[in-house]
Amino acid sequence: MSRFVITTTMALGLALGAAGSAQAADAKQVFDFYCAQCHGVNGDGKGVNVTKDFATDPRNFTNGADMAKRSDEDIKGVIKDGGPSISKSPLMPPWGATLTAAEVDGLLAYIRKFAK
Amino acid sequence: MRFLAVTVSLGAALLVMAAAPSYAAGGDAIFKKSCTGCHYTDGPAKEKTIADQLAKKGPELWYAGSKFKKDWLVAWLQNPKPIRPMKYNSLTDSNKGDHPKQSAGDAAATADFLMGLTSPEVKAGVITPKSSPQAKAIFGKKMPCGGCHEYGKKGDVRGGKSGPSLVGASKRLNPDWVNAYLANIKVFKPVRDMPDFSSALGQKELESVAAYIATFE
Ligand code: HEC
Ligand code: HEC
Ligand code: HEC
Repeated sequence: MSRFVITTTMALGLALGAAGSAQAADAKQVFDFYCAQCHGVNGDGKGVNVTKDFATDPRNFTNGADMAKRSDEDIKGVIKDGGPSISKSPLMPPWGATLTAAEVDGLLAYIRKFAK
Repeated sequence: MRFLAVTVSLGAALLVMAAAPSYAAGGDAIFKKSCTGCHYTDGPAKEKTIADQLAKKGPELWYAGSKFKKDWLVAWLQNPKPIRPMKYNSLTDSNKGDHPKQSAGDAAATADFLMGLTSPEVKAGVITPKSSPQAKAIFGKKMPCGGCHEYGKKGDVRGGKSGPSLVGASKRLNPDWVNAYLANIKVFKPVRDMPDFSSALGQKELESVAAYIATFE
């Protein structure tokens, strides 16, 4: 993302005042903060939480064949409601009460890019 | 008009009260000198963006009196063993355990000061430490708690590394704070890499988990 866009979004965020919590953050920052702890900064599923006790490997987003099986709606749904919402592991947490709709959209696009 | 004036002055009075906690003389001066570079003690929470959180050098302490048990605090300030497996705000470097150490006298005075910093969100006497099958299932199976937090199992330490370790939580954390934190996480940490579980779990479930964590050795 260009510096201009970031500055503009930041200024907008400021203008919106206290209401705009974390909304102006870009997708890489959001992914690195919330998702990389399990999925890894490179999206390969090798985050710091994935020790020998971790029962299910977090999805490897760089695997294009696997990722192609999922629709955008599925991916957004699993981010918001967690693994069990699509009969997957509960180790994938529900983020719906934490992230804004715009942040989820940003994450979807960001995750898709790992497979390209 | 009169109503407005009364409301405003009431609000102002409350603000003054909230800004002036009671603490033993000395502890606040020690804190100002040695600790404010990394910790803030004036609430409510100041973080609005991920960048705000990442800029912090240490955890916020404005509700320390609600969060910690005093005996633990006095002991930890003299012998600060790592709480978070990873360095603060890092997902790559481990915690070197290099927190500043205090003398017994300074630790007691600082702990007096910190225990005066409480949050009205935390209701006392709600949680009694108790393990239950329901809470065990939530913590270990239904929810990803163990994916990010270390906990003890049969003398072994298990679990993820991105969150603070919950080993020894029974001695460290006030169970009523844990309950308030799980139910209303945004008040304490508006920006954090732990999900808000207050809609995924009901009030009774959250209380049972807080009671369960309060048994962690
Ligand atoms: C506590 C660890 C953890 C965190 C944090 C986490 N995930 Fe996951 N995630 C998992 C695991 C484990 C799976 C695999 C679930 C399975 O295959 O049963 C997964 C799977 C997924 C999937 C694929 C679901 C599928 O099979 O179609 C997506 C998409 C995803 N995560 C997105 C995210 C995003 C976005 C974030 C950050 C907001 C995130 N995850 C944070 C552990 C985590
Ligand atoms: C160089 C920065 C730095 C200074 C100076 C510092 N701290 Fe800390 N403090 C930290 C970090 C980082 C942690 C997290 C440590 C951990 O998780 O093991 C921490 C943790 C704490 C905790 C536990 C908080 C929690 O939520 O887990 C307390 C209490 C505390 N510090 C008190 C103090 C006091 C009192 C002083 C002054 C004598 C002080 N600190 C000075 C960085 C600092
Ligand atoms: C995706 C990782 C993740 C998951 C899943 C998670 N946590 Fe956390 N948790 C954290 C992080 C990170 C913190 C510290 C936040 C901060 O201080 O900024 C934390 C803090 C806590 C604390 C306060 C500990 C302290 O010393 O400050 C408790 C208690 C807690 N979590 C309980 C739970 C419970 C119960 C669950 C399951 C319902 C859970 N966590 C799920 C990452 C996670």
